[in-house]
Amino acid sequence: MAGENRPELYELHEKRLRDAIALKTPDRVPLALNGPAWPARALGEEMTQVATNPMRAYQIIIQAYSSLGEIEAIQSPAYDVSTLPIMWLSRVKAPGRELPVDEIWQVDEAELMTVDDYDAILREGFGPWWERYMHERLPGVLEDFQEFTKSIPPAIQACRDIGVAPLAPAACTIPYEYFCGGRSMKEFMLDLFRHGDKVQAAMDEALPFLIEQMRGLIRTFDFMGLWIGGWRSASEFIAPRLWNRFVFPYYQKMVDAALEENAIPILHFDANWTRDLERLREMPKGKCILALDSKTDIFKAKELLGDHMCIMGDVPPALFSLGTPDEVTAYCRRLINEVGPGGFILSSGCDVPVDAQYDNVKAMVEAVA
Amino acid sequence: MIPSPLAQAVGDLDEQTAVTLVEEKLAKGEAALSILEELQAGMSVVGERFEGGEYYLSELIYAADIFKKAGAPLQEELKSAAPATSGTLVLGTVKNDIHDFGKDIVATVMSSNGIKVVDLGVNVEHQAFVTAIREHSPQLVGMSCLLTTVFDDMKEAIQTIKEAGLRDQVKILIGGGPVDEATREYVGADYYCRTAQDGVVVAKQILGVE
Repeated sequence: MAGENRPELYELHEKRLRDAIALKTPDRVPLALNGPAWPARALGEEMTQVATNPMRAYQIIIQAYSSLGEIEAIQSPAYDVSTLPIMWLSRVKAPGRELPVDEIWQVDEAELMTVDDYDAILREGFGPWWERYMHERLPGVLEDFQEFTKSIPPAIQACRDIGVAPLAPAACTIPYEYFCGGRSMKEFMLDLFRHGDKVQAAMDEALPFLIEQMRGLIRTFDFMGLWIGGWRSASEFIAPRLWNRFVFPYYQKMVDAALEENAIPILHFDANWTRDLERLREMPKGKCILALDSKTDIFKAKELLGDHMCIMGDVPPALFSLGTPDEVTAYCRRLINEVGPGGFILSSGCDVPVDAQYDNVKAMVEAVA
Repeated sequence: MIPSPLAQAVGDLDEQTAVTLVEEKLAKGEAALSILEELQAGMSVVGERFEGGEYYLSELIYAADIFKKAGAPLQEELKSAAPATSGTLVLGTVKNDIHDFGKDIVATVMSSNGIKVVDLGVNVEHQAFVTAIREHSPQLVGMSCLLTTVFDDMKEAIQTIKEAGLRDQVKILIGGGPVDEATREYVGADYYCRTAQDGVVVAKQILGVE
């Protein structure tokens, strides 16, 4: 790409992305890379550099992905592990802290939140409760997150400087994910049966705060888009009557608010959401991205949502790790032909895994060339 | 076969009725083992509904907790009775992975279906599987992971079992977020289980349980 005019290149890349989101067919299928761990491994950097050194993390992420060839976007060019406990109210074991310097970070799920916390949320308000919870049970995380936010503007600028769109430099999610992480998944699911009304009241208390927080992030950093993520709230885990009550209405409200702020809501949905794909037709047409991690049937998603919502994904992590470049190429071609070419963005299913083989990641990038 | 009222209550996730019926049966002097079998029959109803798409993981977890709560008063008597287990599963999240949720669900669902579970925890050393197989003589070994980076650890754990000369004594079941059929082939396991209930079905099939 040497010698190309970067602002024009940026415009071209953004146009391809926006065309895909508007369900049009760009001149080529856009490509969005994602995941902070693989870039560190690819460049021979220690994992600590992307986990807990945000000013270095964005440089590593951008350098590793942009060196693969022409790419339209990097989903999350900025990173720090503090972004995980902020949303999941859980401890995270980080390299260089609780783990050896070159190991991948892991969420350390424990019951940090109790049933009594639902009452505390209703009594104190979600915002004050959340700040108190973070200080008391996850000390240092808010301070680390504040440091991380300082890396967002230079990460966005560094992307733009090389003509790459920073598609989703931050992530938000619904109250379900917060509480599920804090309570641990098993206890939280029992809460849904045994304390359903109280859980719902706490969720209703939390949602306006989380929406305002999201609006603040979008305005402060002028985000093009952001993740509205779903992990434990996936359809495969809970019965429809619970999903309809505790999950979907909250996503709808967050999506509407993000669109009011002119940000692209990226429904980053890990695990299997196939059962409820049709419900996503209730989201505004041609405005959102549905990002799948290979557990949801992406071809079914195309069938049910292809005329309504841009789909992004979903080269499976195991294919990156265990497959061959030819297998990656064949899968990408199938995606491009059957889920694309219009209304589709090629990406990894969730993150490119840390142990992805270089030639496999390269094969994905070359599949759209 | 029509389920007993207690089995039906567990199957219907009617927690209060299940707890009350167990108390009434104990008060009438019914044997703990026979009550336990009714609770297990209730879990079979739950399993059938899961396989039929009526129930999800949420219901599996709630049913297993009802089973545990309703069955708590039986434990004292069961200690002196012959355990009503149909087989043993040694279970663990493999080395270098600390995620326990999937493994814990498997442990809960397996034990409430009458399979004794020896839970080795998370970040399990390869050799610990070997030691547990020697100590407990299980028919089944379950390995879980949430990270692609530990596929090699899973493979090495299975290799360690093989080198110890124990591979033919056990069937190895694997599961977890990134695991699929290709992973099973890569690590050399016998079965890939997409869900905890898949694991129950496979385990019962291996153990020859109805």
